[in-house]
Amino acid sequence: MAIERELFAKMVDFVQNCIDGIMIGAAYGLLAIGFTIIFGVMRRLNLSFGPSIMLGAFFGTWAFLTLNAAPWMVLAITIAGTVITGIYVERLCFWAIRRDATIASMVSSFAIWMQLDEVAILMLPGRTYPFPEMFVSGGLNFGPFFVRAEHLVTLLVTILMVVGIRLLLYRTTFGLALRAVSESSDAAKYMGINPSRITFLAFILVSLIGGVAGYLLLATDQQVTPYFGLWVTFKGLIAMMLGGMGSIPGAIIGGLVLGIIETQTQWYLGNAFKDMSAYVVLFLALVLRPGGLLGQGIAERQDLAFRRV
Amino acid sequence: MLKLENLSKHFGGVRAVDDLSIEVNRGEVFGLIGPNGSGKSTIVNLICGVYTPTAGSIRLLGNEISGLTPNRRLVAGVARTFQNIRLFDDMPVWKNLWVAQNSTEDANKHNLLRRWFGGAGSDRDEIDALLEFSGLGGRGGELAGSLAFGEQRRLELARAVAAKPQLLLLDEPAAGMNFDEIKDLAKRIKGLREQDMSIILVEHIMELVMGVTDRIAVLNFGGKIAEGTPDEIQKSSVVQEAYLGKPQDVA
Repeated sequence: MAIERELFAKMVDFVQNCIDGIMIGAAYGLLAIGFTIIFGVMRRLNLSFGPSIMLGAFFGTWAFLTLNAAPWMVLAITIAGTVITGIYVERLCFWAIRRDATIASMVSSFAIWMQLDEVAILMLPGRTYPFPEMFVSGGLNFGPFFVRAEHLVTLLVTILMVVGIRLLLYRTTFGLALRAVSESSDAAKYMGINPSRITFLAFILVSLIGGVAGYLLLATDQQVTPYFGLWVTFKGLIAMMLGGMGSIPGAIIGGLVLGIIETQTQWYLGNAFKDMSAYVVLFLALVLRPGGLLGQGIAERQDLAFRRV
Repeated sequence: MLKLENLSKHFGGVRAVDDLSIEVNRGEVFGLIGPNGSGKSTIVNLICGVYTPTAGSIRLLGNEISGLTPNRRLVAGVARTFQNIRLFDDMPVWKNLWVAQNSTEDANKHNLLRRWFGGAGSDRDEIDALLEFSGLGGRGGELAGSLAFGEQRRLELARAVAAKPQLLLLDEPAAGMNFDEIKDLAKRIKGLREQDMSIILVEHIMELVMGVTDRIAVLNFGGKIAEGTPDEIQKSSVVQEAYLGKPQDVA
């Protein structure tokens, strides 16, 4: 009897971890979509995607600390700040650098990362700042399971955004043009599409997604540090690689898998192993399935990554 | 219709196109021939905006277009096909045509929001007609990348036509085609001329050029050495010299 009850309790723990993992993984998925879209359109990694979200969040938290802004204002300011920073990054290290100079723009996106970190530290010199909580709190009980309200909001917003992104990419002229550029920007150019304008708009779209994802993550944690940028870039890249580079469904699945693995490790091995588990999983994935979970073989990986959004 | 005036393009010391003037009329198929390196492809690239000319002007329907970016030139009415095929391989065949129908740079659609975010208007009938035209009827759902080589060529032609251009540039459209496919292509080009489209055809295969063009310009070293109807060109001794070298007395 006692053994059965213990086993049941363990099962509950495991399922509870999975639920938490899915909720947090949804936000990872959004971050991975951001990387995926830019990678698809530009064929370049934008390393400063994370730091630009961090800076956006610093604008938000600054407004909260000095102006005592309401939660929805913080959300709006975080998104607006991320979009402005995203535009800055696009102009400086993607628009200004020739399209075929892949390495140069990746390195410069790293340089801008440093810059954004410094701006954040100048703006708020301390290390850690409180981030206002969401307009919801508490949670819901489903039998033995508990779901935090913030997590529920994260999941719902993610689902809405994924549906929205899907519609935008497949049902509008903009989405059609974006996919055409990501398949062959050269052919698109002669089909009446301006690749650099599409890139600019893609950066705005991605910054919107990133701003929302950043807000959801931070409002759940209720604190923000300048390291948030590094953290976001790592999580987003790992989730993208896990799912299979260049595919949007892959990005979501990669995010969910990463979220579940992290919460499980945190529960069973402790907090110290949480981030390490992500790198171990990435390493294993790269060795065993180099194309990612939705990818195929290593041979097709690059080919696929270079084609799909 | 299209007027090239004193057009030049120099790459360093190389005069790829040198002081060239050509006029193409509406509904005319105009052939550009010449030995390798004579500047044919450079002219196509100048007209569609890959290069900006070193000197001279390019006028389409009286408007100067040499300063426009390639995407603006499509809206102005210039579409092209490529010597090496560039389709959107991972899109279905019909979507390749859809892209060409929906230019985001089309300034005639004044409502910006609708131009960018409205549902892309697809004219199903028109797409079906284009598929029929390219001999791909009923295969619109297949991925463009999975088509056979000849089919991809036909799709690329259809995609250029889908943009409803005033002027169509065909850069070696028959490269790698067999005899039947070339005959087929000739039929398509004649069909397009009947729709009042002007066409510039760059091609090495003389059967095609002589069969479909109304007028031909022969290029050598970036300049025009002869211009006339296919008959005149075939009889011209200048042209034979350019291709075969001067006849020498073998005594």
